[in-house]
Amino acid sequence: MFPRVTAILVVHRGGDHLRRTLAALDSQTRRADALVVVLTEADADARELVSAASPTHVVELSQRLSFGEAIRAADRILDEPASDADALWLLAEDSAPTPDALAALVATLETAKSVAIAGPKLRAWNEPDRIAGFGRTMTRLGRSVALVDDELDQGQHDGLSDVLGLDPAAILVRHTVWRALGGFDPALPVVDDALDLSVRARLAGHRVALVPEARVEFGGSGVAGPETGSRARTVRRRERATRAAQLHRRLVYAPVATLPLHWLTFLPLALLRSLRLLLVKAPGSIPGEWAAAFTTMFSGARVPRARRTLKHARTAGWSAVAPLRMQPDELRRRRQHAAEARRARARGREQELQFLGTGGGWVLLVSVAASVALFAWLVGASGVGGGGLLPLSDGVAALWRNAAYGWRDIGTGFVGAADPFAGALAVLGSITFWAPSFALVLVWLLALPAAAMGAWFAASRLTERGSVRAVAALVWAFAPPFLIALGDGRPGAVLAHALLGWLAFAAFGAATSWAAAATASLLFAAVIAAAPSLAPALIVAWVVALAVSGRAWGRLAMLPIPVVALALPLIIDQVVRGNPIALLADPGLPVASAVPSTWQLALGFPDDSWGGWDAFFDGVPNVDFRLALTALILPLVLLAIAAVIAPRIRRAVLALGVALLGFATGVGASHLAVATVGAAEIALWTGAGLSLAWLGLVLAAVVALDAVRRGPALLGFVAFAGVLAAVLPTAIGIAADRVAIAPAAERTLPAFVGAEADNDSRVTTMRLTPDADGSLRATLERGRGSTLDEQSTLADTAETLSAADEQLAEIAGNLASRSGFDPDAAIREFGVSFVLLDAPSDDADRAAVATAERARTALDGNAALIVVGETDFGALWRFVDAQADAPAAQIPANAGGWQAVLITVIQLVVLGATLLLSIPTGAGRERDRGSSVRRATLAAGSDLETEPVAETETEPVAETEPEPVAGTVPEPEIAEPTESDADGASADLGKEGDDDR
Amino acid sequence: MTDRFTLARTAVRVGARGLAVLAAAGIAAAAVAAAALVPWPDHRAEAPSIVVQPAETGQVRVCPGPLLSIGEDPAAATTATSVGATSVISGALPADATITETPLAAPDNARADADGAPLALTTEPGAVDAGMLAGAQSQTVTRESLSGFAAASCTEAVAESWLVGGATDVGRTGIVMLANPTAVAATVDVRVIGETGPIDAPSALGIIVPPASQRVLSLAGLAPNVVSPVVHVTSTGGAIAASLEHSVIEGLTPAGVELVGPTAMPAPMQVIPGFVVPTAGGIAPADDHAEGDDFPAVRLLATGEEPAQVSIGIVAEAGGGGSTVDVTLEPGLVTDVPLGELDAGTYTLSLEGDGPFIAAARATTGAPEQQTDPDGADPEASVDLAWTTATMPLVDTAIVAVPRGPSPVLHLANPGGDQVEVRYTLDGEERSLTIAGGDAASADLDDQSVVELAGVAGVHATVTFSGDQALASFAVHPPGPLDSPIRVYPR
Repeated sequence: MFPRVTAILVVHRGGDHLRRTLAALDSQTRRADALVVVLTEADADARELVSAASPTHVVELSQRLSFGEAIRAADRILDEPASDADALWLLAEDSAPTPDALAALVATLETAKSVAIAGPKLRAWNEPDRIAGFGRTMTRLGRSVALVDDELDQGQHDGLSDVLGLDPAAILVRHTVWRALGGFDPALPVVDDALDLSVRARLAGHRVALVPEARVEFGGSGVAGPETGSRARTVRRRERATRAAQLHRRLVYAPVATLPLHWLTFLPLALLRSLRLLLVKAPGSIPGEWAAAFTTMFSGARVPRARRTLKHARTAGWSAVAPLRMQPDELRRRRQHAAEARRARARGREQELQFLGTGGGWVLLVSVAASVALFAWLVGASGVGGGGLLPLSDGVAALWRNAAYGWRDIGTGFVGAADPFAGALAVLGSITFWAPSFALVLVWLLALPAAAMGAWFAASRLTERGSVRAVAALVWAFAPPFLIALGDGRPGAVLAHALLGWLAFAAFGAATSWAAAATASLLFAAVIAAAPSLAPALIVAWVVALAVSGRAWGRLAMLPIPVVALALPLIIDQVVRGNPIALLADPGLPVASAVPSTWQLALGFPDDSWGGWDAFFDGVPNVDFRLALTALILPLVLLAIAAVIAPRIRRAVLALGVALLGFATGVGASHLAVATVGAAEIALWTGAGLSLAWLGLVLAAVVALDAVRRGPALLGFVAFAGVLAAVLPTAIGIAADRVAIAPAAERTLPAFVGAEADNDSRVTTMRLTPDADGSLRATLERGRGSTLDEQSTLADTAETLSAADEQLAEIAGNLASRSGFDPDAAIREFGVSFVLLDAPSDDADRAAVATAERARTALDGNAALIVVGETDFGALWRFVDAQADAPAAQIPANAGGWQAVLITVIQLVVLGATLLLSIPTGAGRERDRGSSVRRATLAAGSDLETEPVAETETEPVAETEPEPVAGTVPEPEIAEPTESDADGASADLGKEGDDDR
Repeated sequence: MTDRFTLARTAVRVGARGLAVLAAAGIAAAAVAAAALVPWPDHRAEAPSIVVQPAETGQVRVCPGPLLSIGEDPAAATTATSVGATSVISGALPADATITETPLAAPDNARADADGAPLALTTEPGAVDAGMLAGAQSQTVTRESLSGFAAASCTEAVAESWLVGGATDVGRTGIVMLANPTAVAATVDVRVIGETGPIDAPSALGIIVPPASQRVLSLAGLAPNVVSPVVHVTSTGGAIAASLEHSVIEGLTPAGVELVGPTAMPAPMQVIPGFVVPTAGGIAPADDHAEGDDFPAVRLLATGEEPAQVSIGIVAEAGGGGSTVDVTLEPGLVTDVPLGELDAGTYTLSLEGDGPFIAAARATTGAPEQQTDPDGADPEASVDLAWTTATMPLVDTAIVAVPRGPSPVLHLANPGGDQVEVRYTLDGEERSLTIAGGDAASADLDDQSVVELAGVAGVHATVTFSGDQALASFAVHPPGPLDSPIRVYPR
């Protein structure tokens, strides 16, 4: 009997796909005996086309069903198959067969009775020489793998016949087998539906065959199988469906005994695979990974139903399909192939900076030499103190505890959020874990070279010229706010300046690479942690960058995530307290500074010292050193302003905008004082804002110098010489150690207390400091004294006193008075063992001296105290009844409660994920986005130009290439040869063609 | 044609670039100008603090105890023994507060058992406010080696005090009394500064005064042959109430005794109210050969590092013009300045300098020659000596105990610019006294009484006694700063 073939065509929308498919069906040499069209939410265009084709049946579905469900709906209206030879041809609107396709498929079913399913060779729509799909198989672990994926069709696979599985489009299935197997598994709506059907057919004793002669052009628009394409959303959806299908099949195919085990491994596996996805720079796939795990774990009756269906039809064992799985050596070969392709793609990106070739090594050498010359007295020191520097906590555990939400061990102590800066300190202290305080010495010694290198790399994104990069690095490293912060001992400002250049470098690359974006986000967090006053300016810069970044915004958007994770507890605490402006407070030990005038700010001096020039010219009449100083800084400013006539005006405007933002930050900071110490208010440090302004000036100057045809080096070094002369007094002051900081022992309390702290790490000292207006400052110090990582802006900026603070004041005030107060309350409430009375400073006013005398008399006359004696830090008393390990001095157990655990876990997850993402393992995995390779190619010669071909190679590893080549990304690197006023000798390949005039 | 077109294009380009630079420079200038000229709002955090009122404590005053004499006992020529007992009177506000009199141990005085010891006057915590406990003592002696009338107030123990008075040249005896009423041993350094500068006396450094006891030092033992000593007492540990006994013998005749209490702490301005000059006379300030005690004089010491120019204003309490004496004080050298010829009466001395200094004034009832001169007209002539110390301004209220003695008078000086109205209670009767700014006033008191003062903020006060062979005074002290509220920043 002549077999009856029913073609089932699933249609969603009309248009060219459907028109060609219908025409192809019409022109078959062996036409289908019946045509059933399933309209799933079809549009009018589709209806018109379908009715014109006069199908046998039309099935209307009012909702968008999967391919399998649509076929099932069509099958319902069909009669029972008359014979085994009757077949269903499963077509989608975008599968246009060649005229002889059906004939070839039918011939296969006819000649081999054991073949139940025959599949054609799927070729790309409009590209008939590329194979879109030709059979599918599974690895031993059950992952679905395409046998052929996006290859040029030269008949190289036409020998394939028996396969494990197929892609769903245009397969010919025996109708009886279809009914016996129950059709596609409803739990596999998109991916692996045909593979699963094939596997079940195989297990039922049938064969699945490929028919190379049957060729079908397949559009991959998502009606049958997953939607193809490389748009980020499509990829993410496809990967999620693939993973969900794999997990579902795992549960369906596994022996029943191992089911719970599989079920339990889903979440740990999702975690591990997420880590891997971060490492391979595919963070967008992570939500899909988890969604797939969860939906499969809780899919209700779908797995049992699928298992029943499978069991029902199964006649053969799994060993029957084993030879058809992809063999490990083949798998290994494919992996090697993919890695090779990645390497090939990555090649050419690494060398673009030409660090040594453009004199980076010399700049590093000069900056190291300058650092050693400035801080010669610090070389060999075990710690550095003075100004805003204190030792770090003695153990790594304590460092990290102080970086986490929970007990803030400063003063009387309280539960609250840690400053993000404490996290930065914990990282630094962990580097020198054997002596955490030594990390600060390293920071001071390495800050200058680190800053110089950061600016060098940032400049390398803007210019190819070694001399201009060198000028940028040196002008940045000798910035007045940086040197003054170094001399004043301001760790936050120093870190912010040292990292800003690197942040600019990483941010330039963030649009093209996940690794760079993650690195930039970590640096963004570090800079804001070190100098919160920069947060508004940096956020404005980020918003502007987002607005002009076009399609790269996805990567730029992640920039603030780590800093938000770090700072959110603090933000909530301060907002709840009603003092959000206090978030700007400089972290670390609050150090008072004189507020600079606008003139000083405009020259880059963050305090009222004129960079030491005032002392230099003290007593020299008739010289206004301020004008001279202005003349020294002016060349840099003029150069920066001249950047607007450079061909790349957009960069110039952005750089100058950064300078303006920084200056505004500095001016704003000069009007704010949010923290207090004792009676004194602590003005915000304007240096952080000035550092940002300086960065903008340096980058703008680089843009200007890069556009100069002749003599950029000379111009640049004139500007540098001016800056160097301006900071010379400051530098001399540092080199001669006439600054606030000095090599320091790790002690801020008398040795007597230190000895006690060896036995009792929580030994408590009440420190009384006579303050300006005859008042008294009372603080508690535990153990060896307060440390830098214990400092908390939450404590410094509180506008009201806590009950414990009031109690401390009460006790301290009474101890400093002749009083009937029970002095042992200090032991009961706070576990105090010692009282230290700071000697008033030499220039203290009379009231402070009188207060010191009063307190001394009262403490001397207090029978509860015995005099220990005069120390380097002041007069020391000890409580007669002092207790070792006083209960009131201990940190309350479980201080932060569950919030501490939750917050810490969230912060660790976010930071850990960002860190993994920032590790540059993704070289070659991320789609190359143009410029860098092309530029390197142009620079290095033409031998690399053949490399991008490697991109067309197969990659079996699930991989995201979320964005196609960006056409509109405003990144400086986007190379698109532009007209250039220059004679083309310069390497100016910037793309801002529109902006040139 | 092409040339012109190119030229025009170039011109447009150059013009556009010039405009761009101008715009950028303009924005930069505008930014700086906006930063400098716009009065941006300031935000300055307020440091949170609280004012701590020290918990109430028992008030303590220490009375120096009976007058001592060195060499009274021939067997122990260098030890001091008491000569007779003192009469002590004390009072508090509220009047019904219990005042406990605790004798301090006086190991240096062999006759303490008989004559009585220094007394510590204490009240229960909270029973009286700070400063509202007063005590005073007086004693008249007539011995071969010691005669005269001495009165002293019972003072608070402090960590540092300056005693201005005494002398150790021929016939003068000085005894430093150090009383420690606290429960803690005091380590006391006594430094003597004379007219030639600080006197090296290592034995006076690190003297231990046990709790609740009094130590006595002979000033001559520390600084022999000093005409104008000043004694600086500092202590660590317990606090010390220090006083100085100054006695004079002309020839073989005793010629006066005084108990000098601590004077006001060094300051660029000092006030000595109620300086009684019983007999007219004196030596011109410029006379640098003035010897002896029998002329009104002021003893001054600049405590700073720099020389101090001090102008001494002498104004009679009764009103009328005054005179001014200008002196230059070398730092570290004590200077006695004669006040010139003064009429008998009471004066207020206002001293103003350009550096910190201390001061006290001395007067006698008559010249000892009147007694000792073989032709002496009157062997019974009144001879006694008194030191009037500089005082501290009082707080709003004060209480004064007046011991037994001849014609006690309360002298009040108001160096401030505003008129004050002082209310005082005498014999249970409230009276008032109005003192104009810069003026002074006095009120006669009854002896053995307690006087409450109100409305005396900023007023300086002294109580004087004068009579036959009797001249004495003591200052009315405000409460020490130890009990005053203090502002504490607990962060």
